[in-house]
Amino acid sequence: MTGMDPFLHDLIVFSPQILAGLKNTVVLMAIISLTGFFGGIAVFYLELNGNKICRKMTERYISFFIGTPLLVHLFLMYYGLPQLGIHISPLAVSVIGFTLNVSAYNARYLMTAYNGLDQMELEAARAQGFTPAETFRSITLPQVLRLSVPSLTNQVIQNLKDTSVAFLIQYQDFFAQVQEIAATNFEFFKAYMMAGLVYLTLVSVIVVAARGLEKRIALPGF
Amino acid sequence: MALIEVKNLVKQFDDKIVLKGVNLELNEGQVKVIMGPSGCGKSTLLRCLNLLVQPTSGQIIFRGEEITRPGVDVRRLRRNIGFVFQHFALYSHLNVQDNVTLGLRKIRKMSAREATDKAFHELERVGMFDHRNKYPAQLSGGQKQRAAIVRALAMDPVVMFLDEPTSSLDPEMAREVVSVINKLYLENVTMLCVTHDAFLAKYISDSIIFLDEGVVLEEDIAERLFYDHPNPRIREFYLSVVDLK
Amino acid sequence: MTFWNILRVLASGAGFTILVTVACTATGLLIGLVTAMLSRLHWRPVEIMIAAYTYTFRGIPVLVLLFIVFFGLPIVGIRVSPFLSMILSLGLISGAYLSEIFRGAMNSVRREEILAAEAMGMTRVQSFLYIVLPQMVRFSIPGMINEFTSVLKYSPFAYTVGIPEIMKEAMGLAAVTLRGLEIYLAVGIIYFIIYRMFCMLFATLEKRYRIPGLSAD
Repeated sequence: MTGMDPFLHDLIVFSPQILAGLKNTVVLMAIISLTGFFGGIAVFYLELNGNKICRKMTERYISFFIGTPLLVHLFLMYYGLPQLGIHISPLAVSVIGFTLNVSAYNARYLMTAYNGLDQMELEAARAQGFTPAETFRSITLPQVLRLSVPSLTNQVIQNLKDTSVAFLIQYQDFFAQVQEIAATNFEFFKAYMMAGLVYLTLVSVIVVAARGLEKRIALPGF
Repeated sequence: MALIEVKNLVKQFDDKIVLKGVNLELNEGQVKVIMGPSGCGKSTLLRCLNLLVQPTSGQIIFRGEEITRPGVDVRRLRRNIGFVFQHFALYSHLNVQDNVTLGLRKIRKMSAREATDKAFHELERVGMFDHRNKYPAQLSGGQKQRAAIVRALAMDPVVMFLDEPTSSLDPEMAREVVSVINKLYLENVTMLCVTHDAFLAKYISDSIIFLDEGVVLEEDIAERLFYDHPNPRIREFYLSVVDLK
Repeated sequence: MTFWNILRVLASGAGFTILVTVACTATGLLIGLVTAMLSRLHWRPVEIMIAAYTYTFRGIPVLVLLFIVFFGLPIVGIRVSPFLSMILSLGLISGAYLSEIFRGAMNSVRREEILAAEAMGMTRVQSFLYIVLPQMVRFSIPGMINEFTSVLKYSPFAYTVGIPEIMKEAMGLAAVTLRGLEIYLAVGIIYFIIYRMFCMLFATLEKRYRIPGLSAD
């Protein structure tokens, strides 16, 4: 293999680690997209139907997590939890930190969509005798979700890009692996450019999937 | 010399020929109305005259100058024509006063003081002075159109073009606007008006140009056009126009 | 070291945080405005380039681009200062988002109003300056505010290139005192305060320049 570009050579040699890193990136993205999605729905429900104190606290929570950097949330978990005697893996820390962050954003998107709904439908449901939970499940949620698809899928794309931040709290994701390779051969430019291309490709995959999803759920009149 | 002379005007959009050789003339002080069935090309005709739409062939002579030749100063032409749109087209980020003074300051190059004075005077003429600080969204349809007329009139154009000025208005508001147009008519403002308002056509014009499928079928006064005209297309059209009284 | 002291130390980094945020947003605004105006010319090659730019820079993580610029470029012979690296990464990415926002806003200006301006005899430049631009800016305000807060929330990455903003101060403090919980809580509070201050500033500005009935539909 004497004629090959040394960088490419390194890529091949390190490919197991790179693939492992990629796996970790995708796994983290998948987990937080799911937990953030359901977390967002839960927070949205509390904001809607909780008692006065609950709603106030939920609003505070959303406000704080939307108004502060993701990195702060992650560092808070990563450096703060051990102080409380909780020692967990970087993956677990990342999942907690990201979930708190993503849930807040998703709840906000759902709320925005909710404000755009026709309130009469919900009143009609209440008049018919549905409990708040039933109204939420059968009428509010489906409509709000449908309206929020663009925002929610954008959030998934954002999640993918944001997983790169996890390397700063020692999570061995794809970007972390790229760091290690670059540290051995000093080909920072090639390494990071390649990383960029990989992320761009992954994002493109999600974009295509998202467009497909939007087409499938399109309803006449929406 | 006529103010506007149109000779054999043809306009083709892709594969559709909208105007198939239109001839008309407008003299200073005259008011002519253009009427006809939907799709006859009325609005296209009007927009060719100030070159918002580029004619395919034919001649348009404005104040002795042929404007269909290449290299004509389109801006200068348009500054002499006051155009009023069916949907008002007021600048939504400016209040009524600023809508009127914008053109005066930036096109006529008036000072802010002069422009404001002129605007006030013109707004007073149509009864819109009290609304001068309102934004378009705060006005009724009739008020919007009156403001649009002032905006065009304040530029002291040589001729006013009105493209279906009352078509977007309910009868009450339409009356507001018609009374303003009547005022202009009595003040000898030269106007060319596309409309399907029979009242406007009958009482506020010197003659009516009947356009059908891109050609002028007839030009005459209302009395002769509206009632039992020999041409079946014209007769049919005016039978379907409600309330010719 | 009391909590209050922690806050004081961290606040000294706030100036850099705000500086970085404002600089990156300004860059983004400039790029967004320029691309929006260029797209008005309807030149195919330019449109393709703008589309490629917005797609690429919205698809790459901020951290990765920052590292390409700050750590990667020196390898190919281009030395970039920490501050400039932030502008070339966060600023360019912000520009991609703002480009979309401005172009959407521009397309929301009613065609008829532009036609009225042309019918009046305004030149294309005049109709752009007096009709399109004022409305476009107003329509973009929610998007611009959103983008500003987004930049604020990615500004902590500046610590990786050595800029002494809040995060860097915090990490220094945490290494010494080992009180990570309080320190990062304090960091969160300071960012939140900065965030709220800017929100209030934007709300006042928005109210001042609001026009009844002007909305992008």
